[in-house]
Amino acid sequence: MVEWTKKHILEIKDLTRQEMEVVFNLASSFKEVSQREVKKTPALRGKTVVNLFFENSTRTRTSFELAAKRLSADVLNFSSSTSSISKGESVVDTIKNLESYHPDILIIRIDTSACLKNFLNYTKASIINAGDGKNEHPTQALLDMFTVKEVKGKLENLNVLIVGDIMHSRVCRSNIFGFQKFSSKVRVCGPPAFIPFEFEKLGVDVFYDLDKAIEEVDVIIMLRIQRERQNLAYFSTLREYVENFSLTPQRLKRAKRDCIVMHPGPVNWDVEISSTLKDELHPLILKQVENGLAIRMAVLYLVGAEKRERKTLRK
Amino acid sequence: MKILIKSATIVNSKNTILADILIENGRIAKLDRNIKENADREIDAKDKFVLPGLIDLHAHLRTPGREDEEDLISGSCSAAKGGFTTILCMPNTNPCIDNEGVVEWIREESQKIGIVDIIPIGAITKERKGKELSEFGVLKKAGCLALSDDSDSIDDSYLFRRALEYAKMFNLLIISHCEDKNLSSQGAMRESLISAKYGMSSIPDIAETIRVFRDIEIAKYVNTKLHLAHISCKKSIELIRREKETFPYLTCETSPHYFILTVEDVEKSNFHANFKVNPPLGERNDVEEIRKAIKEGVIDCIATDHAPHSFAEKEAPFENAPFGFVGLELAFSLTYTYLVREKIISFNQLVEKLSYNPANILGLKDRGEIRKDAIADLIIVDVNKSWQVISKNLVSKSKNTPFLNSELMGLVELTIHQGKIVYEKPFFPSIDLSSGE
Ligand SMILES: [Zn+2]
Repeated sequence: MVEWTKKHILEIKDLTRQEMEVVFNLASSFKEVSQREVKKTPALRGKTVVNLFFENSTRTRTSFELAAKRLSADVLNFSSSTSSISKGESVVDTIKNLESYHPDILIIRIDTSACLKNFLNYTKASIINAGDGKNEHPTQALLDMFTVKEVKGKLENLNVLIVGDIMHSRVCRSNIFGFQKFSSKVRVCGPPAFIPFEFEKLGVDVFYDLDKAIEEVDVIIMLRIQRERQNLAYFSTLREYVENFSLTPQRLKRAKRDCIVMHPGPVNWDVEISSTLKDELHPLILKQVENGLAIRMAVLYLVGAEKRERKTLRK
Repeated sequence: MKILIKSATIVNSKNTILADILIENGRIAKLDRNIKENADREIDAKDKFVLPGLIDLHAHLRTPGREDEEDLISGSCSAAKGGFTTILCMPNTNPCIDNEGVVEWIREESQKIGIVDIIPIGAITKERKGKELSEFGVLKKAGCLALSDDSDSIDDSYLFRRALEYAKMFNLLIISHCEDKNLSSQGAMRESLISAKYGMSSIPDIAETIRVFRDIEIAKYVNTKLHLAHISCKKSIELIRREKETFPYLTCETSPHYFILTVEDVEKSNFHANFKVNPPLGERNDVEEIRKAIKEGVIDCIATDHAPHSFAEKEAPFENAPFGFVGLELAFSLTYTYLVREKIISFNQLVEKLSYNPANILGLKDRGEIRKDAIADLIIVDVNKSWQVISKNLVSKSKNTPFLNSELMGLVELTIHQGKIVYEKPFFPSIDLSSGE
């Protein structure tokens, strides 16, 4: 096991394959803990973790909150709707003000891309990115990859297809950089307006035709569609979007037989995925939620626990 | 007050001469070898260069309205420290510079300060709303030489045509900020592989070029002069180069950051808002093309687009922060360091881009060149001195520049405006202002 040196988890771009493996190994052990009668470990006892959510997301926030509590940390929830942000205080002011509580870890969700590295100047705490604009959502990608690893037994040399609103998806970006570091090939598919500029230069294959894109894939990640995009002419009608980009049983047949389908949730059934696939796909989506907890415990532990303690956990 | 500058190496756009300069009554009284004359002040300029005072066609002085970011005193000092003696200020103020009252107020206040000549640019449309034309004749009488709605550029092609026609009657220069705002659609940086990689909302280069094309076509149709502000990309240059061959009334400017920085610098800064500007920083090939266009004369001048913003505003996340850099104190050294020292242009061409051409474009015949009887607006620079851009040493009220901590060559040591020493490093003799050094 390599020595963990990162103080922050900001982008999958910055993580090495070895570091991601450390996270996965640790997540496996935490999954065991979650199955015990007493689910708590004292790893972060006395530490203060702040959930700083400038954008609403009950699911991600709950997952982080539970993860921190299972590690015995004190958790402070701070979301924009209840905070002084709504009274005109700036994001940076909020972070500076929180410094008086001496937090150990700030978990930040914010609607602006790639802004977290500059926040490091205003806090001594570790920062964990819980989604920054359209840039990255590293823990989501880690849990997606962890789930793939559990089901497939490996992350190497897979064909991964990501479908939908690539442009606005932080989940997509994090997954691309993550899977590529394990030498898997990533394809993206969606209407051209959803494919960012020069995206092929990142080493991904771009498809506009889902029937072609889906051939021979091992993993499919369906992204959530925001209906407002229609008003900005990214695509025409939802009906036509569904016709071209919805995952149906017929389309799924074109993928590899053991292909798995994931979705960062919540799913718009019959938009991204046909509801006839619900029973088939639902168990894996629930597994993603469970794995999300383990992954978040792992990253909190890695950035938050004292070095001495980190050693005792190694097996 | 008589000033005698001895052993000056005078750099004009068309020649370099060795002479003494006698300044009297605000004018250059004599220009000759070995002037023997009793002066109130004698300055030895041996080993230094004397240039005509620089002229900036594009500055934002935030006054009236945002005096916390810049006021006429700090703006004047910032200009003089950077070697500028004439600056044009953009009308995106509150109230807007769209009537004679605001123009006259800025003229009078800046003349009282007396450090540099500040010439307001009037708004083309009332409150820059792109609906009704402002009173061009009245603005001209009050002192405007040029009109612009700058970043509130006029989307309505009919109205833009009418504005050019009306400006023609008053011989006013229309300065156009070329941006199709539907295409730039609230982007924060140039659309590029880097914007794609970080999910950064982005602006395609064609947002500029499409508007460059429209504006030139309308100006040609009306057959009147047009000046394009802060050109930033290769595609626009290619278009301008071609059109300039047949259309003599077309001029344009760029700003120092467009011949120095790229999207890669934005990434390296970890998307610090001090790297956010509109038009946005481009790719390496844009930088190369702009350098080439400056050298060839396709780009007539270098303007600062000085855009002060408070520290708090630039602390915000990249996508939320306002656009713009301060530039008055940096433009000369940046141009010297990145264009003259790298042998892309000559020192004379620097003077052409930063003084002679701007004067010509504005029709100001009394400046832009050091010659007998011209206004005594001149600067003494030491090109062998380097200096570091440190925020506390900038006299502008705002410090938002991507060049913080850079080491630059070429230092303005003395600025004379209308025959008066207005800046002598590090002091502003006429003003009680601690320069922070
Ligand atoms: Zn502008």
